[in-house]
Formats: sequence, C-alpha cells, structure tokens
Amino acid sequence: MISCKELHVTFNRGLPTEKLALRGIDLTIPQGEFVTVIGSNGAGKSTLLNTIAGDINSTKGQILFGERDVTKVPATGRTADIARVFQDPLAGTCGDLTVEENMALAYGRGKRGRLSPALNTKTREIFREQLARLNLGIEDRLESQMGLLSGGQRQSVSLLMSALQPSTILLLDEHTAALDPKTAALIMDITSQIIAEKQLTVMMVTHSMRQALDHGSRTIMLHEGKIIFDLAGEQRANYEVKDLLNLFAQARTDGEELDDDKLLLGA
Amino acid sequence: MSLFSFLGTLEIGLIYGLVAIGVYLTFRILDFPDLTVDGSFTLGAAVTATLIVMGVNVFLATVAGTIAAACAGLVTAWLNLRFDILHLLASILTMTALYTINLRVMGKPNVALIMEPTILTPFEGIFGLPDMYMRVIFVAVCALIGGLLVAWFLKTQYGLAMRAVGSNKRMAQANGIVVKQKVYAGLALSNGLVGLAGALFAQTNGFADSTMGIGTIVVGLAAVIIGQSLFASRSMYVIVLSCIVGSVLYRLAVSMALNADFLGFSASDLNLITAVLVALALIFPKLRNEWKAKQAARKEA
Repeated sequence: MISCKELHVTFNRGLPTEKLALRGIDLTIPQGEFVTVIGSNGAGKSTLLNTIAGDINSTKGQILFGERDVTKVPATGRTADIARVFQDPLAGTCGDLTVEENMALAYGRGKRGRLSPALNTKTREIFREQLARLNLGIEDRLESQMGLLSGGQRQSVSLLMSALQPSTILLLDEHTAALDPKTAALIMDITSQIIAEKQLTVMMVTHSMRQALDHGSRTIMLHEGKIIFDLAGEQRANYEVKDLLNLFAQARTDGEELDDDKLLLGA
Repeated sequence: MSLFSFLGTLEIGLIYGLVAIGVYLTFRILDFPDLTVDGSFTLGAAVTATLIVMGVNVFLATVAGTIAAACAGLVTAWLNLRFDILHLLASILTMTALYTINLRVMGKPNVALIMEPTILTPFEGIFGLPDMYMRVIFVAVCALIGGLLVAWFLKTQYGLAMRAVGSNKRMAQANGIVVKQKVYAGLALSNGLVGLAGALFAQTNGFADSTMGIGTIVVGLAAVIIGQSLFASRSMYVIVLSCIVGSVLYRLAVSMALNADFLGFSASDLNLITAVLVALALIFPKLRNEWKAKQAARKEA
C-alpha cells in the first residue's frame, strides 16, 4: 500500500528559478491496485513517481509504504519494496554488461552486495527460464552484451528484471512510450501477466489516454502538481477517451485546453 | 638489448601492471578519470621507504604504503562526491597536494634503500636463483596475484555492482546499489594498487623520489589501451591480465626505441616516445576498423 499525505515538492527552493512541481498530493493506493497516471507535460507525473521511488526528496508531506514511513529513506533503501521500469530502454539496463550480468544485478536488488560470485549455474537457470517467457530468443543470448539488443528487447528485459525479486510496488514511467506499437503491446501483455502473478501495487504513468483506461482499475490525472480527478469503479468503466478530455476541460476553470497531441491521439 | 636490461624492463613492466589495473578500475570500470595516481604512486613508495629506514618490518611498511595511497583515493572521491567537484579536477587537486605530502613524509626529496632490508631480502638466493631472475619472478607473482584478485572481485556481486555504477548510475540506484559507496571503494582499491606498485618499485630499485610518480597516469593508460587493443575479450580475467601484458609490452617498446642506435634517441626523449606510443595504440584499432570496412565494401562491389 502506498499513501502520500500532503506531498509537496519544490525544485530550486529559494532561487529565482523556483518551481512548485507537486502542490499537495493526497493519494492512497491499496495493496494490489493498479493506478494509471495521466496529465500533460510538466504536470508532475514523473516527479510524483520519482518522489515515491526516493530519487527526489519531498519538501513537505509524508510517504508511507503500508505502515512504514519512508519519507526520509533514500532511494536505495526503498528498493526492497519498489521495482521500476523507465521510459528510456537504455536507462533500465547497463549496455556495457551482458544480459546475465544485468539480470544478476536485478536479482540482487534489496540485498547487500556480497563477495560471492554474482553468477552461478542456479541463477543462470532462473534467468534463462524467465527470459524464455518473452519468446524473443534472448534466453540463448545470456552472454551477449546488453548494448547489442534492440530497444524493445532491452525494455522487455528490464521489465523481467523488475520482477526478479519479490517487491510490492511496481512503478512504470511511460515504459512503452519509446517502442513501436507491436513491441509496446507485447510489453503491456507481459506487464499485465507479471502484475497479476505477483499481486503488485502498480502506478503507471502514460501519455496515452487509451492505455490509461484499458489497463488497471483506477485513473488519476495530474495538472500543475495537483490531482485534478480520480476515477475508479463503474464510473471509469463507462469512460471513453473523449469523456476524459471533457472532464479535463471542466476541471480547468480558466478555459485552458489540452494541447498535447499525444493525449488527443490516444494511441 | 642485453639480458640484464631486458630483465630490468620486464620487472618494471610487471610492477606497472598493477598501476595499469588500478587505472583500468577508475577509467574503464567506474568511468572516473583519476589523476590521483601520479601522487599515490609516490606516496606508496615514500611511506614504505621511510618506514623501512625507520626500522619497521618490510611487509608492514609495504602494507602501510598501500593503505596510505588508498586513503589518497578516498580524498579524491570525497571531493567529487561530497562537493560535486569535477572528478578530473578533484583528482588533480589531490595529486598536487600529495606532492607536498610526499616531501613531508620523506623529510627530503628522496630516500635511499640501498643498505636496507626490502621485501625481496627473504627471497635472496632462494632455489639458488640469481637475484636478477628472482626479482622478476617475485614481481610477476605479485602482479599476477593482484590481477587475479581484482578479476575475481569484479565478478562478485559487489564488483558487478561497481561495474553497474560506472555504466549506468540510475539503473544501479534503482536496483538498490549505493552508488557513492561503490565509487569510494573503487577509488580506494585503484589507488591502493598503485600505491602497492610504488612500494614495490621503491624496494626493487632501492629508492623513493618525490618526482618518481610524474607521468604514472599516462603509463597506466598506455598499458590499458595497448592491452585492450591486442586482446578483445569480455572475460574479466583476460581483460585484467591484458593490462599487465600491455604494461610489459609498453616498457619493451620504450626500451627498444631508446636502445635502437639508428633511431638516435636518448633517455631524455622518453616522454615523446611515450606520447607517440600511446597515440599509435589509440589510432591502431580505429584504422583497423576502417580498413576492414573498406575491404568488406570492396568485396560487395
């Protein structure tokens, strides 16, 4: 379970370039819920995810994982609970290391780095088994350098890596945005499988309204650092992309319209 | 080249093999260009030599020199990580400070070890080997043990985490790796190896000198580049050992250039030869690839 209480994040506090990125987020996500997060560029979606992950320190407010207050815990201290997949396929893996070495890094997530060999027959077997789920033939390329794989393949591997260790929370930051439609669909399929299998609490940032409605059980929209609406249950089930757009227009009192092409395309 | 000077070259090449491994750790593994080594090589030598002259056990003195150099690496890491000073600049600052520190440690510009016991003393006359062979075997064993330990280390969970930090910090952090700790550990290990090389150099050559560390970084880098352009491999053992081989080859090339009468070089031309050798080692892989691409294009046509 994730709870954010009155979460504020300000960048460059006290400087002329001060930016209020999050302005009081109150959000409770029960264990096992899949929440999609939408909003235009600069709305604070990624900031929210990065603050929950611990990359960014909150200026005010509180973050709890279950009963545990993690507000002051650095990112590395939260990795026992959190797995992440980034938007950039290059960001989630090390191009200089081999596929199996990357998997071994993720396999050691939340544990202390020990002086035992990072790879052995047993772990290799686990990695091969996991990679076989992708049907991309990567299971036979364990010793290939990660940098030789395509963007889609790398993203698939980072997704598997996020699920190698038991965790309770999965944070997906537009993890299909940089992929072609076919690969994106494949990645979304595996994502859904993993989530169902591990009963994870998920937050997925997406630019696509279609994807936001098709996946998960709840959708929140951010605008200027605030949650402007929160949809769930039956109400959400009947929603279409155009309804979301209307809702967005209503929420804005100054008549500002969505100008983000990606949101409108809804692909 | 006489057998005697060949063995001497081999000996120095093997000692600088440790420097090359240290430089490989910072430049290639951590992506942290670290010039501290120019100072920490001398620091290792200075601390060890001074302690030996004071009558301290030679093994303890060598360990102390190594640890002192490792601490110099920690200072560079601290300047970079705590205060965001650019890594290159942080290491230049430490290197500059070390010059004075080395003079203070020794109390004078150089310390002679001619009449003192050294780490080689217990091995003198072992198996009836003449000293000049024994010394080469001794430093070869040291370099080999150092290299194998580092290669083994890089394959452990901790070592793999360190490689991830150098390759992709964000990914490392998302996988629970404490980035700063790995950089501290890497710089300490790297400079420790360089300090150990300094300590061995002082004991095999019989002196420590405040200027002996100048150019260490270039020599180390040359060895890494020569080794890697000759042995393209992904195996950690091959990569680390190729640093040692690269260092020996570099020394042989320099000594041959200096000894070849028809070239007319003298000892004072060392730096030019070094620069040219490093440039050649850097140019060679590039030209080879271009040539291969041309050959392939010709075949298709």
